[in-house]
Amino acid sequence: MKAKTVLTILMALMLLLVGCAKQPPAGGGELVRLGDEPSTLDPHLTSDVDSAVIVVEVFGGLVTLDTNLKVVPDLAEKWSISSDRKTYTFTLRRDAKFHNGKAVTANDVKWSLERAADPKTLSTTVDTYLGDIVGVRAKLAGESQEVSGVRVIDDRTIEITIDAPKTYFLAKLTYPTAFVLDRDNVEASTEWFKQPNGTGPFKLKEYLPGELIILERFPDYHLGPARLDTVKFFLGGGTPMVMYENDEIQITGVGLADLDRVRDPSSPLSKELHTATPGFQTSYLGMNVSRPPFDDIKVRQALSYAINKDVVASTVLAGRVKPAYTILPPGFPGYSADLTGLRYDPEKARKLLAESKYGADPARLPRITLTVPGALGTAVGLDLEAILAMWRDNLGIQVDVQQVEFATFLRDLDARRLQMYAIAWVADYPDPQNFLDLLFHSQSINNQTGYSNPEVDRLLEAARTEPDETARFQLYRQAEQIILEDAPWVLLWHPGEGYVLIKPEVKNYLLLPIVVPRYRFVYLEK
Amino acid sequence: MRSFEEEKKKRPARGRSLWIYAGQRFMRNKKGMVCLAIILLLYGAGIFAPLVAPYGYDQQNLGQALKAPGWEHPFGTDRLGRDVFSRVIFGIRTTVIVTVAAMAAGGLVLGIAMGLISGYFGRFIDSVIMRVGEVFLAFPDILLVILIAATLKPRVTEWVRGLEGTVGIEGIVRSGFVDYMVVFGALAIVSWVGMARVVRGQVLSLKESQYVMAARALGASHWRIIFRHIFPNILPPIIVLVSVGMGSIAGSEVILSWLGLGVQPPVPSLGVMIWDNGDISILRTTPYLLLFPVGTVAIIIFAFNLLGDALNDALNPKIR
Amino acid sequence: MGAYILRRLIWTPILLLIVGLVTFLLNFYGPGDPVQIIMQQYQDPAVVERVREQRGLDKPVLVQYGIYIGNALRGNLGESFKYRGQTVASLIGKRVWVSSQLGLAALILSIVLGIPLGMLAARWQGRWQDTSIISGALLFYSMPVFITAPFLLMLFVLWLGILPSHGWGGLFDLRVVMPALILGLPGIAFIARMSRNSIVEVLSQDYVRTARAKGLHELRVYWHHVLRNAMIPVFTVIGLSLATLVSGAIVTETYFGIPGIGRLALDAFFARDYPIITALSLMIAAAYVLANLIVDIGYRFIDPRIRYD
Repeated sequence: MKAKTVLTILMALMLLLVGCAKQPPAGGGELVRLGDEPSTLDPHLTSDVDSAVIVVEVFGGLVTLDTNLKVVPDLAEKWSISSDRKTYTFTLRRDAKFHNGKAVTANDVKWSLERAADPKTLSTTVDTYLGDIVGVRAKLAGESQEVSGVRVIDDRTIEITIDAPKTYFLAKLTYPTAFVLDRDNVEASTEWFKQPNGTGPFKLKEYLPGELIILERFPDYHLGPARLDTVKFFLGGGTPMVMYENDEIQITGVGLADLDRVRDPSSPLSKELHTATPGFQTSYLGMNVSRPPFDDIKVRQALSYAINKDVVASTVLAGRVKPAYTILPPGFPGYSADLTGLRYDPEKARKLLAESKYGADPARLPRITLTVPGALGTAVGLDLEAILAMWRDNLGIQVDVQQVEFATFLRDLDARRLQMYAIAWVADYPDPQNFLDLLFHSQSINNQTGYSNPEVDRLLEAARTEPDETARFQLYRQAEQIILEDAPWVLLWHPGEGYVLIKPEVKNYLLLPIVVPRYRFVYLEK
Repeated sequence: MRSFEEEKKKRPARGRSLWIYAGQRFMRNKKGMVCLAIILLLYGAGIFAPLVAPYGYDQQNLGQALKAPGWEHPFGTDRLGRDVFSRVIFGIRTTVIVTVAAMAAGGLVLGIAMGLISGYFGRFIDSVIMRVGEVFLAFPDILLVILIAATLKPRVTEWVRGLEGTVGIEGIVRSGFVDYMVVFGALAIVSWVGMARVVRGQVLSLKESQYVMAARALGASHWRIIFRHIFPNILPPIIVLVSVGMGSIAGSEVILSWLGLGVQPPVPSLGVMIWDNGDISILRTTPYLLLFPVGTVAIIIFAFNLLGDALNDALNPKIR
Repeated sequence: MGAYILRRLIWTPILLLIVGLVTFLLNFYGPGDPVQIIMQQYQDPAVVERVREQRGLDKPVLVQYGIYIGNALRGNLGESFKYRGQTVASLIGKRVWVSSQLGLAALILSIVLGIPLGMLAARWQGRWQDTSIISGALLFYSMPVFITAPFLLMLFVLWLGILPSHGWGGLFDLRVVMPALILGLPGIAFIARMSRNSIVEVLSQDYVRTARAKGLHELRVYWHHVLRNAMIPVFTVIGLSLATLVSGAIVTETYFGIPGIGRLALDAFFARDYPIITALSLMIAAAYVLANLIVDIGYRFIDPRIRYD
């Protein structure tokens, strides 16, 4: 994936519960932290993490996901699925309300889905998340006023028909593109989202672009109101550690430079340090398999075997990431802990290189240029420099680095013009299809390495329509194993939030692998 | 003031010896000589970096990471266990390359030429050049640099790399020279105007001077007047501007690194080292990672500026 | 003078049109596609084409420019690509105000600290105080923001603990001090240096000697003759600070979390947010022209010998 776009899922138990007390007090008050400027607060236009973080607190949709990544009710109280697995009938909750007190009806849902699919809305995510619904593509193309697959049965019942039995459709409905909006609110002004009337646990109290966002508890929230009175996000940036130590903010990530100081047991900060599980994302170096020397599988494998990711992750990156040996991140649905991947083995790497058609002499190897996307202040990472050195020391290969501005990088990537490139994929929805099918099927537009294996294609296609989850995940497991062996990627890390400092008075702040509405659970203990 | 009065008495009639006197004046200026020595020393260290530096710039030793300055590593080591002292010296080499590339890319040449033409020929050409210059000045240069660097740089680099492959030389691309040529070529398009204005102003005042009038009356050609009579006389301010300009180019390398447009790792540059560590947290824990590269850039910029000052005193002895 | 101003006023719109056109051409023919950036990983070519059409980005560049100018003249600067749903005017308006206040604060600091320093140096001309003030000024004049910012942050926040580390509260808030100081340092140094030089020069002029000989009080001599000359570098700094409103403030605003246009500009450049890039280019160009006009008129006001023709 090309940038951080993450789905909204509620996950919890695998996550760290911070200082959970049995009888929590009221715990109101204000939580203050840094935030990043959201690109938009319109759910239907949301496609990035920075926007989603706020949007999921203010708005909601029919369904959300529970702690086990199962789809659970949000605005809908229950639903039934037809026998051909193509029609979903949702019943709305009686107590679901917008922030202004108005009840949420089936007409609101229909209007919202149609607004998302309206070409005038300019949503970029609608094809991905709602494209399975019958009639959405017709509406997008301007051929129809309505979305035929969405039918209002009565005030509290709505029926959605999709084009094929797709197991992961409900998971897609948890993304903001499918959120429910209030028509009167949206049609009131062009910048309506600065005074939004949502259904989420928090109301947007104040939004000063570039400065701050203040969220305020919505007392009538149907899933149980939040405990915090307000959450304040500073958007302007600044130096987080200084602000944390000055008591200006209550939560901050810890950078590499501060880690040793913070971890020192004699430092009072060490008691406030928490470790997050890795996020649902995988960073890697993609290799264009049609360009020499990557047209030889042995060269690709050699590059993977020649790097010691465990050492780099634990020393250079101080354990802030988990070394990646599988494509699916740990904890992700379909993740197979028994897949070993290509582990560090310099002997084997040298042997493979020698057996390749280019031979052992690195001088005969075509030059390799690694393209890295860059923008302000993001130097090529130390981890990459360490890896370059390992290639040089273990294989004698000198790889050139070329940092390219992000917009250009994207264009060259899509044109498959890059020989080798560094990037990460972040999960959109919790299904292996989102990684394996999108990135490795030979016909997928997201397959930028040009990787193609008929056996993998066959497995991936079988998995698309396989109704039984266990059998489906087994198909993905087989596909993943072949892909790992074929090594079109040099897998790097599963990055995440890393280390986080949380003030002791902040309780129950969940460190999650993806964006979820989390402030509802937080409370303060003075 | 004192020396000026004396100087006036001694001032010789012939132009050439003006330079000799300027040279003598400069030699007597302790500040200027010290700066010149510093610059020569640093540039020398940069040019001969492979001989001077005790370690290679990308020689990693993860077991020796983040060692404080000591006998073995006078400036300490970074997170990859690389010797900071060696990296600073190789970083100076990058600064040498940048300043040379910037000069080669022609910002100064363009500025001087435009200023001479504009000032000497006047009228229509002058108006056109000055109006065009104004458009360039009004244009946000950072936008131009980003766009040009994004479009041209990868292509030119690819091309030179192909050239290296066929000719069999290595290291032109890796040194970063090509990167900086492109970026400063882009900057030259916008940055000539300042120099052109200074030169134009000088030329305008000289044009009316008696000896230029006399030369013209004697039927000297335009080019002879420009190169024989005008150019030597505007050289002093140009020299001063060049000296100060070198300092600011060394500084702009840091900004280019911030934008990700500078030299590519693992080749070190002072700018990359500063941004990698340009963080208050580094200052609190491992300050040597930031202080040595920052100090080096600061010294280079400061030395060039003071040198410019001293040259100004020596070459334009009017104000003192 | 009047004719000069008139000529400038006629030339300005032409200049802005050219700057706008160049920006448009660079956007259009430059690499990177704003639609691709908006779409992030949803790169279905059919969808990319659809969005491009919806945004009017499939039209020829001159047509797009014509439409843009037409809208701009009616006060509609368009809608941002990156900040979806927000108008350029609402995004830029407030930030310009913030950046201008910061620039003003820096300017005030430059004048308030720069002129007295210059006067002191001139008083001690040739002595060690003079040398150290002038060398110090040179040092700070040439030091880029990225060098001074971390040190001031350390000094005022971590060691002295007297200033907040970040944020913005307007001109009359403590938080303005550090960024204004950092932005103002080159100005302070420049004004100190230039005013010292002009004071030294003026003090040696005959008319000042005469004034002194007439028994005018020293302060009056300063007031009448010296300060007037010292104002010339002040106007130069005004010009400089207006012209570098954006580029000079990017790093500082980022460092201190100030919601000005510097950071917005950089984000817009990297996201190929044409509407914002074009609006900012035009604004910077206009600011530049305005700055020059102020400087020219200022010079003329101070020193009637300066002519423009």
